[in-house]
Amino acid sequence: MSTGVTMHINVPPLFSALRRNPAGALLVLAQIAITLAVLCNAASIVAHAIARMDLPSGFDTRDTFVIDVESQSNRFDIPSAEREDVAYLRGLPDVVAATITSGRPLTHDGTFDGMGRAPGTTGASVLSSKLPVDEQGLSALGVPLVAGRNFRADEIVADSATGTPQQSGEIIISESLARALFPDGHALGSTVYNGGTNPLTIIGITRDFMGPQGDEPSYNVYLAPEMSGAYGFYELFVRARPGRRDIVQRIANRHIAAAHPDAVIAFSQTMADARQLMDADNRNMTIFLSAVTALMIAVCCLGMFGLTAFNVNSRIRQIGVRRAVGARRRDIVAHFVAESALILGAGAVLGSVFALALGQWLSDHYGEPRLDLAYVLASIVTLWAIGQLAAWQPARRAASVPPSVATRTI
Amino acid sequence: MLGYYCRLALKSFRHTPGLTALMVGAIAFGISTCIVTLTVYHAMSGNPIWWKNNVLYAVTMDSRDPLPTGSLADSDSLPDQFSYADATYLYGSSIPRHKAIVATMSGALSGAPDQSAAALVHLRATSMGFFRMFDVPFEYGGPWDAAADRGPEPVIVLSRDENDKLFGGADSVGRSILLDNHPFRIVGVLDRWNPQPQFYDLTVRSFGNASDAYIPFASGVQLRLWPHGHVSCWGADDPHTYPQLIGSSCVWILLWVELPDAASREHFRAYMDAYWAAQHKMGRFQRPRDNSLWPVSRWLTHHHVVTDNSRLLLRLAFAFLAVCLINTVGIELTKFLRAAPLTGVRRALGASRRHIFLQHLVETAVIALAGSALGLALSWAELDAIHALYSGSNDAYGLLAHFDPLGVLWALGLAALATIIAGLYPAWRIGRVPPALHLKSQ
Repeated sequence: MSTGVTMHINVPPLFSALRRNPAGALLVLAQIAITLAVLCNAASIVAHAIARMDLPSGFDTRDTFVIDVESQSNRFDIPSAEREDVAYLRGLPDVVAATITSGRPLTHDGTFDGMGRAPGTTGASVLSSKLPVDEQGLSALGVPLVAGRNFRADEIVADSATGTPQQSGEIIISESLARALFPDGHALGSTVYNGGTNPLTIIGITRDFMGPQGDEPSYNVYLAPEMSGAYGFYELFVRARPGRRDIVQRIANRHIAAAHPDAVIAFSQTMADARQLMDADNRNMTIFLSAVTALMIAVCCLGMFGLTAFNVNSRIRQIGVRRAVGARRRDIVAHFVAESALILGAGAVLGSVFALALGQWLSDHYGEPRLDLAYVLASIVTLWAIGQLAAWQPARRAASVPPSVATRTI
Repeated sequence: MLGYYCRLALKSFRHTPGLTALMVGAIAFGISTCIVTLTVYHAMSGNPIWWKNNVLYAVTMDSRDPLPTGSLADSDSLPDQFSYADATYLYGSSIPRHKAIVATMSGALSGAPDQSAAALVHLRATSMGFFRMFDVPFEYGGPWDAAADRGPEPVIVLSRDENDKLFGGADSVGRSILLDNHPFRIVGVLDRWNPQPQFYDLTVRSFGNASDAYIPFASGVQLRLWPHGHVSCWGADDPHTYPQLIGSSCVWILLWVELPDAASREHFRAYMDAYWAAQHKMGRFQRPRDNSLWPVSRWLTHHHVVTDNSRLLLRLAFAFLAVCLINTVGIELTKFLRAAPLTGVRRALGASRRHIFLQHLVETAVIALAGSALGLALSWAELDAIHALYSGSNDAYGLLAHFDPLGVLWALGLAALATIIAGLYPAWRIGRVPPALHLKSQ
């Protein structure tokens, strides 16, 4: 095709053709508008769900697992049992590090405190999850310190025989929590409170990682050097050498089950599984939204296809006439493509209005993030391209109508 | 006449098998998506004990510190639960017809004949009233009596599944089993009972499996079984021993009452208010008084049991169905108009507009019905697949995605809707076609 040739589309015939079957065109337009509104909002929701699934856990989730041991008798001596278990685990050749804890990262299983810069329950506070660990906590998590130091072995406190909490006055906090508590920096060495009157000194700051989680993903977490026997259970957080997690987990389960006749393993969960479960809602939503939206686009395109095919069929004679008086094949194709473009364009305008209204409503009622215009534009382009493709095939069939048709039936 | 219209419709389908399949398929997908989301939404939003909605109440009291921090800082997170002291005091009231303390504990059952290792079970530490007020069905035996609550006596009620596991489903009433190595006498075995949502305890999750076994609350406390659900503490309370927990104002116990009439409700409210006032005077409960009785339906809305996602998906499903139906309207319309000359002939031969209208409406109705039937089958398969996919977890969709007879009703309703929406306009439109015009062009 030479570049000098201009494609000539007569606009008036386009409208007069549409006017002959306005209902069909309007119905396709309505489908496009609804589909567009759903498509951009679904895309936006899916993008945010994927972003949430992509949030880094911040610690080694590949090689780690947690065993939860529940006391079955008042005779069960939790402090000595947990010490025994952790010593055994550290003796295994495939274990990198192991810590005693009582909270599970990436799950709702844990303690949550309001951390503030003032004692007691006065003043502003930041909801933070607490992860009790011993001196191997950081290496078991595989989380590096960005400032300060780790707990020493002699700093780990256990409940005394009377159960009086032996609270340590030192904690390590995540960078996010440090920023939230001390926006102007200098968190290291400062004192904070977890709702009580006992001051806690920040001795270290770690790179961000996800501790036990509330409803929304959060990196606000603090580590406390404690081994508590309260609530009749303890947990062991274990990090194995790469590739050896499952073997270590099996050995650990077997050993602990045999070692404590007065206790039961409540569960033994890998952190990879915990992350899977944490993302389950977002994943399901993504799958369902994508599937239904894809079906909707398909139905919409079939509608466009059906309408164009019908128009072509019912105008065979007119096409023949146009061909006979000199219209080229590509003029015929151009006519039908332009006709579908007109419907798509009108659908896009109406659909954008619907989309923005729906987006507004979703962010008002469901707390979804505001609909970004980029999603609307991307959706228009996508739907337009697919819609044009759907009209393309019948349009090409129209172009193959021979000019002789015009002479046959008159 | 109807038979004739159906024959005409079939004939028309034979002419355009592709288009017909397309319409039936689109409606089927639209309807199955609606049935799946409706089924889950319906199960989520249902009140599993609706027949007692006006007599059953969850009791709450704002026992928080004046300026709370942390997890309960938000104004909408009024505590659901009570501390040991408050719960036992309020439970002591003789005003309610039935009353129940509801707490979650954990223990290990051992010593059953079919058992090789001790089994960790989810325990509901409660009182006799639990079974009566929630209409819990028993397969063998029954609830323990009031004396067992007071004693407390070491008695236990097993769930049906647990009894299957431990005793192979045999009548185990009267037998003894070890709970954390203490002998407990089995007084009852439940029949299948797992209402969803788990209205009686929404503190940890709204949907999930019911408890494995039930013991008197006081027996659990006597064994020093730690709470296994949600415990919230304020200020300096940080219990590390069991006596500390019992003495603390940490909340971990739910309280339910059955109050059959307005008088008893007023009476119980006054009882609560008097307790609140006395405690307030002693320096506790320094927040504004907020003592509430929640009927189950309000309790469920208050806890946002129906998730935003499920509401969103339901609306999406209907938008999808709308597109499918509009698509059908468009295709039917073009199809009818293409066959307009035939209609012209029928009109000329004496068919009235009403007949033409009915004939075409029947054609659309057949498509809508076929689509709905296929959609019903599809939704069955989809629900099965979802159920299988999530059966292991406590996921709401896994638990609630059961095909129920209601699905058939949904399908019938949606089919009627589809016929009305997709059929009326094209059938009416084709009836307006002037016959002469088409006769001329033949």
